[in-house]
Amino acid sequence: MNNLAYKRETFRDDYTYRNSPAAIRRFPFPFAEDHYMYSVNIEQHQPGAPGSIVEHAFDIDEHYVSECKDKLLTLAQDKGRYAALPHMMDAQWDFLELTMESLARDYPQLFTLTKDVDHWTWRNRPLEIEDSFIFGDASTLPLEPFDYMGRQVQGDFVLLDQREGTLFADAGFITSQADWSLAFDIGMSWHEWHGPVPQVEKMGIMDRALKFLMSLQQGSPVRRLNWTMTINPRLDTSPEHFPEWGPDKLTVTPQNAGEKAHLRVELQSMFRLPRSNAILFSIRCYLISLEELATYPRWAKRFHRVLKDLHPDLLEYKGIKVYHEAVLAWLSQHDDGAEIAAGTHPG
Amino acid sequence: MQHGYWIRSKPVYHSLSWQHRAQAHVLVANGEAGRSIVRLLHQRLPDQPITVLYHPTQEADYSKSLVSLAGENLHVFKRESELWHRFEQILQQSVMGTRLYAAGNEYFLWQATTLAASHGVLSGDVMREQASSLARSVYCVHCKTISHRVTTNIAICTGCQRHLLVRDHFSRRLGAYMGLMIDAEEPGNVPEAEEVYP
Amino acid sequence: MSALKVIVSAIEQVADGICHFTFAAADGGELPGFSGGSHVVVSMPAHNRTYRNAYSLLSSPADRRNYQIAVRLQEQSRGGSRFMHEQVKVGSRLDISWPVNLFPISRVGHKHILVAGGIGITPFMSQVHELLRTGADFELHYAFRSPQYAGFIDQLQQLLGKNLICHDQSQRQVLDLQALLSQQPLGTHVYVCGPAGMVDALLSTAYELGWPDAHVHHEEFLAPPIGEPFTLRLKQSGKSVEVGAEVSMLEAMEAAGVDAPYLCRGGACGRCELEVLATDGVIEHHDHYLSDAEKGSGKKIMPCVSRAKCSFIELNL
Ligand code: HEM
Ligand code: FES
Repeated sequence: MNNLAYKRETFRDDYTYRNSPAAIRRFPFPFAEDHYMYSVNIEQHQPGAPGSIVEHAFDIDEHYVSECKDKLLTLAQDKGRYAALPHMMDAQWDFLELTMESLARDYPQLFTLTKDVDHWTWRNRPLEIEDSFIFGDASTLPLEPFDYMGRQVQGDFVLLDQREGTLFADAGFITSQADWSLAFDIGMSWHEWHGPVPQVEKMGIMDRALKFLMSLQQGSPVRRLNWTMTINPRLDTSPEHFPEWGPDKLTVTPQNAGEKAHLRVELQSMFRLPRSNAILFSIRCYLISLEELATYPRWAKRFHRVLKDLHPDLLEYKGIKVYHEAVLAWLSQHDDGAEIAAGTHPG
Repeated sequence: MQHGYWIRSKPVYHSLSWQHRAQAHVLVANGEAGRSIVRLLHQRLPDQPITVLYHPTQEADYSKSLVSLAGENLHVFKRESELWHRFEQILQQSVMGTRLYAAGNEYFLWQATTLAASHGVLSGDVMREQASSLARSVYCVHCKTISHRVTTNIAICTGCQRHLLVRDHFSRRLGAYMGLMIDAEEPGNVPEAEEVYP
Repeated sequence: MSALKVIVSAIEQVADGICHFTFAAADGGELPGFSGGSHVVVSMPAHNRTYRNAYSLLSSPADRRNYQIAVRLQEQSRGGSRFMHEQVKVGSRLDISWPVNLFPISRVGHKHILVAGGIGITPFMSQVHELLRTGADFELHYAFRSPQYAGFIDQLQQLLGKNLICHDQSQRQVLDLQALLSQQPLGTHVYVCGPAGMVDALLSTAYELGWPDAHVHHEEFLAPPIGEPFTLRLKQSGKSVEVGAEVSMLEAMEAAGVDAPYLCRGGACGRCELEVLATDGVIEHHDHYLSDAEKGSGKKIMPCVSRAKCSFIELNL
């Protein structure tokens, strides 16, 4: 996607966000089967098919400019969305290097990076940014390196320090989270920040996933999908701003669910970073309304079945309970009960 | 209110016991938890030097019993801030092998741990015993104020006056549980609060 | 795991039986950055088999043009160090793994004591560069039999000055661990790499003095995953697949055109689980997925990381 026509759209107030037909087609629909439960669904993050969301290390799409604008609005309202503990400075530079090198390599028409030893120049055409700085010298950048690039890549980012046999969430840039708080979770260890997730304990999921990540290697990033639902195409579904988006959950009816209710899918990718030995956890959020989803009937059918028998703890945790009935009623129109073959493909 | 499963961020505490492999021992305690230190001082004492820092509160003052047991190793502080000041000085002068013990209400325990962490002491290096009261400190995720001595499952934030649901999710760095506006979806719909953390 | 292609750009004999190799990226570009304490696994294609040994990176992590390693010729060499000393020349091409760090400096530590014995100095070479760059408070204690066994001593003296403390055993300078470890400020971390006796002595001294375990670090090399060859019999397809010593069961099946499931290839996700029908040996489980009971039953295997010590194993596939 090198010649993107960026859409001017909003993720709040009048919510003008929509997906083009091409964006719907490449949407990361996460359900290969009619039933869903948590699992350690981790796979190698290797470059995928051209045009797909995993073609590149970091996906830049038609929402890029508007999403970056929304990040600035959220940061301006709440400074706690960016935080980095002092020992994470090497990881910050690693993040800047990885994102700049990846974007410049994968989208040369949009981004360029020129290096003269430690003198780097970064050009971001869509956002009209150009800066020269000395790599490793934070005083030569307008913001801390992680903050600087966190604003220029779609998605949320956590930097994890590995020590004492676990991972610590010691830095984060979080403006599009599915209801968790960076200001509260910063500095927590793996099992602490995952504490609220139901049902995983007895399956040993978190222990296995942690062991796997602890031996994650540079050059072999991995990814997984996670999902939830959001009412209205809102990126900032933070607990901080819950009073702003919470009431929307009660406005869903079987009539308006197609337009209001969105499937929210996170492409989460994990990279071992070079100098800091930290792990980058990137959370790229994709939103699609049920109406858009129903462009492909097998997606609507499948989602109906997944939601119908979702474990009650997951319904509660993901905050779906209050509008569950309304959403099921809307989706049921699209489900004729016929069997669907396994797989996540649209058509 | 919670979903009937254990949230793993909620700390588990143990009663203090001496770590006999050590170079020195430093104990900090407040109020009611003075009793834990009294109990500890009745056990077989380690060979290395012991220092006790204690802040009595209105509810409980164990200074007398502590003086008789610890003598001049005991330092009693009228204000909690003075205790932290002295603790900080001790941390600065201490060597590896100095064992740290904290006894008090939950917020006190994590203040001690956080202060020690600023001297490179890891969370796991500090032993912690919670005093008998289970009262919680609650962090308002909306206005970022911490309200103390909460004993109910729903509390009014001392910063923004919202009604907060007190979750089991705990931040060691803040020494507090997460509080989330309970009637955010339906303003005014606030269930009756129940006393659950006596 | 993708390998890095490198070309040997210099070889230097630095001490008796120790050679110093410099690698550059084969495509002339930059090599990946790394953190202090990292190692790479070098693949050495000898005529009958490929050896894989792990070597600490000695160079400055800031320098992405070169990597440096030191290889000591081992008398009872498994073949790897002999290959490096005898077969590898300037201009030779080699495959190495991406850098891996199992011996990192704690980023929350306030002071760092590095203790090296003999050739155990190697993982500290990159660490001292990192510590100097970050301005951390640290000292390096280097114990050796006599000066001719003290590799890198000149370079270290130049870099570290007073922060290098040498313990030359031929001069009866012994490293007094008790004295060293009883006087360190709170927040100190100690790191040791050297002969087993020295590592054990340090660990037990620290323990007796009341150092918490999380402040005491020692180098552990992960043994490169080698095993013995065996035969896989696949019940459903009737195929027979040879698993070489160097490849995993999963890789062997893929090479033989068998469509076996996988996701993580690291023993965590559970996707590749296969049912074991029979074997004449024992399964070596290396995964984090199966429970101890399942491992004990011998009925399941995760072919992405596990293998068997046997002549054959039969799977329900
Ligand atoms: C290393 C980077 C990771 C970070 C920083 C991270 C962070 C988080 C956070 C903050 C939450 C929300 C918890 C809350 O409710 O407060 C969460 C949820 C969750 N995480 Fe992770 N996570 C990571 C990796 C993983 C991995 C590798 C797995 C694989 C199994 C995983 C599985 C889950 C699951 C199942 C949930 C519940 C999500 C839902 O139902 O919407 N996480 N994670
Ligand atoms: S592929 Fe994940 S456990 Fe083997």
